[in-house]
Amino acid sequence: MGQIVLKDVVKKFGDTEVIPPLNLTIEEGEFAVFVGPSGCGKSTLLRLIAGLEDTTEGQVLIDGEDMTEVSPSKRGLAMVFQSYALYPHMTVRKNIAFPMRMAGMSEDEQNIRIEAAAKSLNLTDYLDRKPGQLSGGQRQRVAIGRAIVREPSAFLFDEPLSNLDAALRVGMRLEISEMHKRLKTTMIYVTHDQVEAMTMADRIVVLQAGVIEQVGTPLELYHSPRNKFVAGFIGSPKMNLLEGAEAQKHKAHTIGIRPEHIKVSTKAVKGAWKGTVGVAEHLGSDTFIHIHGVEGCDPMTVRAAGDVAVKHGDKVYLTPEKSQIHKFDEAGLRI
Amino acid sequence: MSSRRLPRLLQAPAVILLLFWMLVPLGMTLFFSFIRYVLASLNRPEWTTPSIDNWRGFGNYAFVLDSKDFLFAIQNSLLIVGGILFLTVFFGVMIAVLINKVFPGQGIVRVLLISPFFIMPAVNAVLWINMILDPVLGLNGLAIEGINSVIASMRDAPVVGWFFSLWPEFKPISFRATQTSAYAVIMMVTWQWTPFAVLIFMTSLQSEDEQQKEAAILDGAGKWSQFRFLTLPHLARPMAIVVMIQAIFHLSLYAEIEIVSRGNGNKNLPYLIGEFANNNIGAASATGIFAVILANIVAIFLLRAVGKTLME
Amino acid sequence: MAIVAQTSKLGIYGRPALAWIVALVFFFPIFWLILTSFKTDADAVKPEFLFFFTPTLDNYLNMTENYDYWRFATNSVVTSVLATGVALFVGIPAAYAMAFNPARHTKDILMWMLSTKMLPAAAVLYPMTFLAKSLGIFDTHFAVILVLTLVNLPIVVWMLFTYFKEIPKDIIEAGQMDGVNTWGEIKEILIPLAWGGIASTALLCFIFCWNEAYWTVRLTTTEAATLSKLIEGNRAPEGLFFGRLSAVSAAAVGPIVVLGWFCQKQLVQGLTFGAVK
Ligand SMILES: Nc1ncnc2c1ncn2[C@@H]1O[C@H](COP(=O)(O)OP(=O)(O)OP(=O)(O)O)[C@@H](O)[C@H]1O
Ligand SMILES: [Mg+2]
Repeated sequence: MGQIVLKDVVKKFGDTEVIPPLNLTIEEGEFAVFVGPSGCGKSTLLRLIAGLEDTTEGQVLIDGEDMTEVSPSKRGLAMVFQSYALYPHMTVRKNIAFPMRMAGMSEDEQNIRIEAAAKSLNLTDYLDRKPGQLSGGQRQRVAIGRAIVREPSAFLFDEPLSNLDAALRVGMRLEISEMHKRLKTTMIYVTHDQVEAMTMADRIVVLQAGVIEQVGTPLELYHSPRNKFVAGFIGSPKMNLLEGAEAQKHKAHTIGIRPEHIKVSTKAVKGAWKGTVGVAEHLGSDTFIHIHGVEGCDPMTVRAAGDVAVKHGDKVYLTPEKSQIHKFDEAGLRI
Repeated sequence: MSSRRLPRLLQAPAVILLLFWMLVPLGMTLFFSFIRYVLASLNRPEWTTPSIDNWRGFGNYAFVLDSKDFLFAIQNSLLIVGGILFLTVFFGVMIAVLINKVFPGQGIVRVLLISPFFIMPAVNAVLWINMILDPVLGLNGLAIEGINSVIASMRDAPVVGWFFSLWPEFKPISFRATQTSAYAVIMMVTWQWTPFAVLIFMTSLQSEDEQQKEAAILDGAGKWSQFRFLTLPHLARPMAIVVMIQAIFHLSLYAEIEIVSRGNGNKNLPYLIGEFANNNIGAASATGIFAVILANIVAIFLLRAVGKTLME
Repeated sequence: MAIVAQTSKLGIYGRPALAWIVALVFFFPIFWLILTSFKTDADAVKPEFLFFFTPTLDNYLNMTENYDYWRFATNSVVTSVLATGVALFVGIPAAYAMAFNPARHTKDILMWMLSTKMLPAAAVLYPMTFLAKSLGIFDTHFAVILVLTLVNLPIVVWMLFTYFKEIPKDIIEAGQMDGVNTWGEIKEILIPLAWGGIASTALLCFIFCWNEAYWTVRLTTTEAATLSKLIEGNRAPEGLFFGRLSAVSAAAVGPIVVLGWFCQKQLVQGLTFGAVK
């Protein structure tokens, strides 16, 4: 239960093609994360799977069955929305019961599942409140509760945590990951948060302008990005990309080096890149240093572990780890 | 495609009903306007039923354009609509600005002010033309009769009597003549629709930018400048909407004219159509088409103004 | 705040005073109508009894004898309630479809609906009379209800549309994911959520139906005649019956004026098609 296949799916809004022909298979039980810049079609793709948008061309298969023409209510999927989309006129209990009531489940069975879901989501005390009387995190949990009780063949999440504050986000992230480990149900998760993508995903799908740039495990994407776009998109702070003479030395059009793979020193080092500190961001655990004046890349970002005592205007010398240099050809593809 | 078809079909009943409502009667009017169709015609009995054989081309239009009633009705329509529009917008802005600030009893004042708007047009007309404006028996006549009798009694009073004997006898204005009854209509409709303008302007004033006003005060703007350069421009859009909505309602004003003016020669376009429709259906229909054209000119502007804001 | 200090004495006392005066002037005709309704027909036209007279309830007690008031009132209630009901029944699905499943032409359809409202009634007077008579529905409740429904349908759809549009689309979609069909979306989610808006739309539609004074006058004679027709038929300039005419007029408008007080806000939205908020 829970394999999802997109076959030559095309989506147009009027004349603009948002998703050009796209093929993707999400395996049963997999936690797949869609990432990509704003407007690249992540939500659209998710909504195509849900059936909330009609495909212009192509097919959506769920467990091998063609669901392209099936209404969202009959696809057996559950969705958690960024805005939570709770029914404001119903209590938490009624909200959670709603999909089961629509499915014609018996009251007893409904109650058993509500209690179980409420317990696992820490909602037991709030069952008789209306959504308006809950905090953002509680609302999000209700939305998740509403999704799990119907035991869907897959969960779809569209940026479910982006309305929460940072601390809550971390907590909820763990809860969802744990839920996935427990339920082993397919989950598709849309986000543009790096950390969420890297920590939660079994596989990440990187999208740009409706096109899949790369599909792979988080570490695959980190270590061997297929092209410049993925290289720049995965990892934070962003990978530094250098063109020109420095790249020529490596027989590439462009080379990339992640900020954490550069050593910084205030003393002169032979063969190192030279630059001047623009801004140094001291985070305590790390220091992000933005450096001007390096040929082919301005500014260059370096991430140094611990607190490094540099300040604006300091001259610094940068040594990249040779083994961590990524090479790209003229078309931006990995060499 | 698939999952959206049913939901979209749900608008069909409303669309079909309105399509029917618009096309069938209007089509008939258009057809009648091109044929000779007279309900009571002794020497041409074939004209008493609608038939394509009685084709008259633009004859009815020519007939209507030639009749002096038509020109008068158009003029009067415009006079009445124009008068009402000017007065309601003027009073509307003044009153809205007046009661926009919080003061004791504001709620009651609002309720009192809005009430006229809910009076049914027939009652409005009967109330005004009879009980208020009638030169003999209405408040108009009664009050003036009362004043006259007070003056008359004062003439015999000692000391000041000479002063009152200089006063003429007051005469109430009659609102039953052709032209004055148009004024009566303007008066009663203005009374009824000023509350509407007030309500809309007030709603709009509540969304006025207070910070902008405070900035203006700091810049040294006086009360008048604030009103002239901030409030009035802010009200421009609601004013346009008030004007156009009212224009559409008042171009088809009927009950008031019917009650106030029956038989005294005062008429507007809808009333003229009603008169024609008693016998000469061809002419009534041609007049109707003119009315549609007139309304459409106004409607186009309204649709533009409304459409823009609503669909974004 | 410094701004408060600017307000002069005149502003503090003058503004409320002026506002009250204006309000009383505007309310005066209604007050006068009510006052006259408590005078006998004879007292109503005597200058000496302008404000001081012996009040009587006879005008109200005799409304049935004098005017057959309840028959007209019943017609008004029946036609207004049913027309409102039908308009909502047709309007809710339509507005739902347009708000949540817009197609390319939805905007044009809405605009077109609005434009039918601008068709001058007088232009189609004769065809309507002709149709009603040839279909045998002239002077029937059915004809009045049909016309009132059609006349108000555009406003009903527009108002509902503006209310529905304020409901987040996500909630409807959540419903779809939770397994409701189209009917369920309307019944389980839309109607409970937009209940307030639907009620105000109904109220406003009812008021418009009640006050309608063109078709109710021209398409009825006796059987289906409403209060508008009753008053229009008794415009009596002779002034013999001012007392009783006032009473029946007050009874005709009273309920609606009170209803109107409750939906001032909605009135603005409804009459400006949501363009002023
Ligand atoms: N209903 C629609 N009509 C027309 N264009 C649309 C519609 N919905 C989305 N689009 C367009 O499709 C593209 C993809 O939108 P989508 O919402 O899928 O982006 P996204 O990747 O989810 O972005 P974000 O991260 O900002 O949520 C955008 O360019 C958007 O403008
Ligand atoms: Mg999105």
